[in-house]
Amino acid sequence: MNVVNPIITIRNVVKSFGAFLALDDVSLTVEPGQKVVVIGPSGSGKSTLLRTINQLEEISSGSIVVDGQEVSDPKNDINRIREEVGMVFQSFNLFRHKTVLENLTLAPIKLKKEPVKEAEKRAMELLDKVGMVDKATSFPVQLSVGQQQRVAIARALAMTPKIMLFDEPTSALDPEMIGEVLEVMVTLAREGMTMVVVTHEMGFAREVGDKVVFMDEGKIIEIASPDQFFDHPENDRTRKFLEQIL
Amino acid sequence: MREKKVVIEVGDGAAIPDPDDKGLFTAWRISFFGTIAIIVYLLVTKPDPYLDIIKFLPDGIVVTFKVTFASIGLALILGLIAGLGRISKNRWFNLAASTYIEVVRGIPLLVQLFYIYFALGHLIRVPDMVAAIIAMGFCYGAYMGEVFRAGINSIDDGQTEASLSLGFNRSQTMRYVILPQAWRTILPPVGNEFIALLKDTSLVSILAVSDILRRGREFASESFLYFETYTMVALIYLLITLVLSKLLSNMENRLSHYERR
Repeated sequence: MNVVNPIITIRNVVKSFGAFLALDDVSLTVEPGQKVVVIGPSGSGKSTLLRTINQLEEISSGSIVVDGQEVSDPKNDINRIREEVGMVFQSFNLFRHKTVLENLTLAPIKLKKEPVKEAEKRAMELLDKVGMVDKATSFPVQLSVGQQQRVAIARALAMTPKIMLFDEPTSALDPEMIGEVLEVMVTLAREGMTMVVVTHEMGFAREVGDKVVFMDEGKIIEIASPDQFFDHPENDRTRKFLEQIL
Repeated sequence: MREKKVVIEVGDGAAIPDPDDKGLFTAWRISFFGTIAIIVYLLVTKPDPYLDIIKFLPDGIVVTFKVTFASIGLALILGLIAGLGRISKNRWFNLAASTYIEVVRGIPLLVQLFYIYFALGHLIRVPDMVAAIIAMGFCYGAYMGEVFRAGINSIDDGQTEASLSLGFNRSQTMRYVILPQAWRTILPPVGNEFIALLKDTSLVSILAVSDILRRGREFASESFLYFETYTMVALIYLLITLVLSKLLSNMENRLSHYERR
């Protein structure tokens, strides 16, 4: 077997909120190009885990190395690491005072000092990819939630990240809009993007995932390939969870 | 996604007219046209002494506006610093801002005016007008600090998280994402403070600054027409605040353009 250096290495991470252990000794590796799907009941720590990767949550102990840099080390510039790690939120969080196009160009122009014309050209290409070109001059409030989420994905991609994190990207969507967002995510996966996805969409996990991670009560209970995971789960708790949702 | 509607009410500015109020008789219209009608009536029926009074006041109006604009400028700068201090994780910055606000809010404005005017006068000679502006700005900066803090806090944490996740640091996030949005929430109370400040500048008349009220007092003490003079002074103040409140309401309307579908 050939050894690939992981692009994300999470080692013995503990995150506590007061007395509550949100993450309890969690370890996980993600290789470049891999699609890792994290599932589990609500409150299991899956979103917290995702948010520690780009330090939106600071870890209490352990280590997280992203693309060769320890994210909790104050010597490393967390803002430069975050440029490499795109994130898509459950509630989209588009900048409400900016148009769709400006949402995409703000960070490239201010952070990467891209010329405005170039940033706009690339932004339009990304909008084309998510099927939102005709809404470039709209404000977020004028879009449906599904459209907002597609723009949010494009915004994250505008920084040309190496890794994309998805925090329950379809949970706040009306059922008829879930498909359009998943479609964008599947395309992205086909193009070889490294993705860590927290989701309840089991179909997506099975179709796209290289590796399924099941979490409960702050711990990783099981890591398996989708086929193994859904057809022959090893752990009792995994089995119970799957029975409840499938 | 449902928008959260945040309304901050502070101070004793003026009632900003509701732009959605489409009725013919609004409080603003009654006050505004009523005021104009009374002024015109007085000038036409009793040009002596009202014409003399109204000719005497414009210098004072200019001074009132100078003091108001300079003070609000100073107050906005101090307010932004104080507001950022109040939400800062830096303990000393936070403590300094909180103490400033606490102290200023605990002393009557008139006492602060006297204090800064006379205490400052002991140390350095500054023109009366400058002392007045420093005192007003210093005091209103504390009120503004609370307005800024509330405005910044009204912006959803998700906006900050999205900005950070793109690679912006904290101060860039504040500058590019939070403040431009907070401004919309902040504008109504800031406008309110602006009008309150304009009215409070009448206090500087005791510091030998020739504002509207001071000019009125000068006229009255020479002519002994106290009732007529102060009637006109009150009407002028009312007219100015009514016009300002209307302007602010229009501005607010324009600023919320990206909220409309």
